[in-house]
Amino acid sequence: MSAAAGVGTAGVGTADVGTGELGLRGPSAQVGGAGPATAHEPGVAARRHWRPSRVAGTGASGLLLVGLGLFILAPLGMLVLWAFADYWFFPSAFPSVWTLSWWKTVFSGGDLSTAVMWSFIFAPTVMVISAVVCLPAAYVFARREFLGKRAMMMTLFATNAFPKMGLYIAMASVLYALNLMGTFMGVVIIQLLNTLVIMTWIPAAAFASVPPSLEEAARDAGAGPWRTFFRVTFPLASPGIVVALILAFLASFDEAQGTFLVGVPNYVTMPVQMYSLVSDYPGPATAVFAILLTIPSLVLLALVRKHVFSSTLAEGYRLR
Amino acid sequence: MPVGVGFVPVLITIVFIGLPVALAVLYTLGKTGGLNETIARVAQHQVVAKHGFTLGAYRNFIDSKELRSDLWVTFWVTVVSTAALVALSVVLALFVRFSKGRVGRLVSTVYVVPMFIPTVIASYALVTFWQQNGKLAGILHALGLPSSWVPGFTSMGVVLGLVCTNIPFAVILLASSMHGVSDVLIEAARDVGASWPRVVWSVILPLCRLPIIIIVTFTAIGTLGNFTIPDLMGPNAPQMLGVAMTDYYQSYGQPQQAEVMAVLVFLAALALSGFYVWASRSERRRVSAQSGAK
Repeated sequence: MSAAAGVGTAGVGTADVGTGELGLRGPSAQVGGAGPATAHEPGVAARRHWRPSRVAGTGASGLLLVGLGLFILAPLGMLVLWAFADYWFFPSAFPSVWTLSWWKTVFSGGDLSTAVMWSFIFAPTVMVISAVVCLPAAYVFARREFLGKRAMMMTLFATNAFPKMGLYIAMASVLYALNLMGTFMGVVIIQLLNTLVIMTWIPAAAFASVPPSLEEAARDAGAGPWRTFFRVTFPLASPGIVVALILAFLASFDEAQGTFLVGVPNYVTMPVQMYSLVSDYPGPATAVFAILLTIPSLVLLALVRKHVFSSTLAEGYRLR
Repeated sequence: MPVGVGFVPVLITIVFIGLPVALAVLYTLGKTGGLNETIARVAQHQVVAKHGFTLGAYRNFIDSKELRSDLWVTFWVTVVSTAALVALSVVLALFVRFSKGRVGRLVSTVYVVPMFIPTVIASYALVTFWQQNGKLAGILHALGLPSSWVPGFTSMGVVLGLVCTNIPFAVILLASSMHGVSDVLIEAARDVGASWPRVVWSVILPLCRLPIIIIVTFTAIGTLGNFTIPDLMGPNAPQMLGVAMTDYYQSYGQPQQAEVMAVLVFLAALALSGFYVWASRSERRRVSAQSGAK
């Protein structure tokens, strides 16, 4: 990790993003393989099985699993059941009458479909603008040494260093002054800020992992700088860039707090709609909407799961 | 490519983060001119400095009993949820790192689930599950326990919600760093007679200092500025500052008071960031000193 400290953009993340093979999968082989207990002889392990501490350990792990289930899985499972429930009263375990009518309510509702539309307009817009703004910067950070580079990367880090709602409140006053409050551009700006770190640091690590010698070879063979970039550098760095694009899309798609402050009432996206759904709509309709909102996150994050596990995300929080 | 393009995202950050923060500080000190003029024109109950600065807006904050209790609840929710998150994520990461077989795999599948769920949905699902007439109350009832134990719409529920939504980030960070702790070190400690708790405390955790510092800093900052979770899961009063400042800004027409709260959480975050920079510098020095000694 000390090596990562010195090299600027190229850090531990380089290997992760560049190869796409490392990450939890690689190291997790250790879990099955050379775990500490397997180092002992089987006899010792068997004897240990009867020790009170061992039994307590098994009990504790069972408890942990039940706790996690109650804490994480049960609420989500209930939400899914709610989406199909007509009558479900305390304290019965399952709905007494099932229905699909809540799905019809959501799909026919004017407000709700508008929210879906705005979500799918804002997220791609923000993703594209973020890419246009940040990818060249990422390339420069990865390839060039210049005065103030560290300071510049630290400045980007400010987006993570401020408590979000406080920051949005402060921003809102400036957006008022610039006549951007309640406008399309205002919402784009507030969502864009959440993508800057992702869109700069992850692609920068990806660009840095492309050996400069390959670019030089292409230049020697007569390729111009643009041709070199688009035929050599970009394809090699593309896995990291795709991850950053997807994460930026999701950052915008799931952003609720800032959009709530800046966009309401003109631009209500799906997560913002959730705030009012919770108080204004019957529970099951909210559950249906919640499931619809979760699907894109679920699908897109499943696509980049490997990279997320490889602590690429965490790189955005590491000072260099 | 010109170095200048690197400046574009930085410029956006300066214009839309640096400038607003500076203006917010000035506004709370009674400066209503310049870019603050627009918001100051619609504001009610604001303190204006005739010349120099005034701390009047901050005095109003401290004089308000409601806001004092909002500040206090923000403080303890942040401390308790961060501490609980670190404790729980250490346990989970140890599990992911060392347990073999089905339970370990199951745990490492379950803990990442909240990452795939937008925060709004997760907090709604949680609060539906454990509100007074929710299913958790039903489970408690079936077990013969008082169903009033459920944490729905309480500040303790907010703590649990924060822990739940932050678990993936924390455990991923910790687990990846625990995978870096070599088995050789652990076996060496075991061979000289160290118990498992001792190994965790004296070998594994010291090697995971940096990720723990990262988790503490960023969950605490995230909690200070959180709106979604306390808004959907918390009580109507006392509110966490993230909710209170939104209400003062949007509903009560008191942007200056809202910005006072914003500046207060900025100051707390500044202290946390300072701690983080100091801790990661000293950690880096320590690591490089060690690798230099080899």
